[in-house]
Amino acid sequence: MLDRPLSPPPVEVIVAVTQALHCEARLLDNEDFDGWLAMLDEDICYRMELKSRRFRADRSPPLPVGPGVIFNEDLGRLKLRVDRLKSGFVWAEDPPNFIRRAISNVEVVARPAENEVRVHSVLIMHRNRIDGTTRVLTAARTDLWRGEGQAWLLVARDIVLDHSVLPDSNLNAFF
Amino acid sequence: MALDIASLVDTGTGRQSRLIYANEEIYRQELERIFGRCWLFLVHTSQIPKPGDYFRTFMGEDDVIVIRQKDGSIKAFLNSCTHRGNRVCRADRGNARAFTCNYHGWSFAPDGALAGVPLENEAYFGELDRSKFGLVPVTKVSEYKGLVFGCWDANSPSLEDYLGDAKFFLDVWLDAMPGGSALLGETQKMVLGTNWKLPVENVCGDGYHLGWAHAGAMSAVQSMDLTGLSVGNSGVDLDGGLSVAGMNGHMVLSALDGVSGYAFYPDPKPILEYLEANRQTVIDRLGEVRGKQVWGAQVNITIFPNLQLLPGLNWFRVYHPKGPGQIEQWTWAMAENDMPEAVKTQILENQCLTFGLAGLFDNDDGDNLAACTEQSRGWRTAQMDVYTNMALGRSGKREGFPGDIAAGLVSEHNQRYFYRRWQEHMMAENWAEVPTYNINSLTAQEAEHA
Repeated sequence: MLDRPLSPPPVEVIVAVTQALHCEARLLDNEDFDGWLAMLDEDICYRMELKSRRFRADRSPPLPVGPGVIFNEDLGRLKLRVDRLKSGFVWAEDPPNFIRRAISNVEVVARPAENEVRVHSVLIMHRNRIDGTTRVLTAARTDLWRGEGQAWLLVARDIVLDHSVLPDSNLNAFF
Repeated sequence: MALDIASLVDTGTGRQSRLIYANEEIYRQELERIFGRCWLFLVHTSQIPKPGDYFRTFMGEDDVIVIRQKDGSIKAFLNSCTHRGNRVCRADRGNARAFTCNYHGWSFAPDGALAGVPLENEAYFGELDRSKFGLVPVTKVSEYKGLVFGCWDANSPSLEDYLGDAKFFLDVWLDAMPGGSALLGETQKMVLGTNWKLPVENVCGDGYHLGWAHAGAMSAVQSMDLTGLSVGNSGVDLDGGLSVAGMNGHMVLSALDGVSGYAFYPDPKPILEYLEANRQTVIDRLGEVRGKQVWGAQVNITIFPNLQLLPGLNWFRVYHPKGPGQIEQWTWAMAENDMPEAVKTQILENQCLTFGLAGLFDNDDGDNLAACTEQSRGWRTAQMDVYTNMALGRSGKREGFPGDIAAGLVSEHNQRYFYRRWQEHMMAENWAEVPTYNINSLTAQEAEHA
């Protein structure tokens, strides 16, 4: 993966993808899950791996079956999560928690194909929970977006959560 | 003021005072009499396979490093420099030849010995007796079939005696297949604003909350029947499962169908194939009852005080207390070594989907437990009681199983035994005053032929 573009991508691509990222955040903040699902490619790969805190010099081999995941979703599993949230039985979301996502550090770093871009961004998620507490989660994301006609679709997202111990009682939220 | 522990729990009526979830003094006594006395889970041997491999964990609030030694044995030490007390290891896990304190550079070997002291001759004038300043070892460390436990109390029973008849059920994971067991993946850690007893109680016996608290998750992923437990708790079949307690404070919930552990896998087929391909092996090793009915079924095992494992759903968890109103919940996926790689991968994935940090089920429980804790902190609520009084007095012996057993996964029988054990420990000055009981114990022969 190319980390820095050799030449900057066209401004209109940057604007379009940045708009897509902001739109996505707004749809999720508004719990418009169907609108969000419509922004995903049918082959979406949506991942957040588990991490551990290790010494820089540690040379332990990788774990046998891998680190495990917080999210490893295809479209079917994302729909399943949305179905649960829409079931009317998720008491932890009723009344709704107040969630706001801020997206920044948008950086288009590569153009693997004419209609595809790889994009870094940073997400700050502010959650004012039912219990009155406020938790702020931050994450870095590396996405692959594909232009399909007028629309941009999310094809892949790798999310790095910046918390080794999750400071919240659930992750009923998408990043 | 001495704590009147006898008044806080009434096993006969299933009553608990809410003080036990909020009171600081009670919590300090728990650290001494429960976490300072009981065998506590440290690590699975699969997590530290090679010499120098270490894993950092907690015993109560005490930070501990567990280290595989050159001779293959396992030792555990307080993660605290003997000079000024600083933490000597800041990583979660890894492999190390030594642990060096950040503060002044004292360095400790994997066997705990003080191996290096900067300026030892120049500033200590060669007068420091290094042999007196090794890391403080955990008093007893012992293994049961891959599970490594530590204990601070020299007078505790042996680990095998402590586990008692819970071994009958532990073996359904640890010893079902000849290859034994393993934990998978990194540690899934989250902070929950709950007293540590509430999640233990939730999993040790509370099948009642499943159909209600988890109705959304069940409606999304349930792929087969679980003893008639239904979304919204509209029905239940009490013949399909057992609530087993009376085993030194350890508890088990078990369905009896040999497959329903995988009821919450969207696609259980590969695992059901593994179960059926190996069913006879397990029957040969553990007998008919465990091989046919329990292995593969939904099983919740609780080892007092803070270890829980659910073969089937395949999550394995400890709760580390962080004050009366907070815990860190640590979870791993469980597997059998004989499982094909693809099945292990599926288990890790499904465990993360259902009971991970974004787990569909786990994400229902946290707020309920936190609110139960908060509603014990008020001036008025702290004077109140809570109840686990479902199906009082409806338990007894069941052919082929140890323990005092109530019918069904929906009962509060196990929770009563959990609080009874809590009270027994809290009232006892020392291990000699803690009763030992394995009700309706099977003889070795009965267990084998069950």
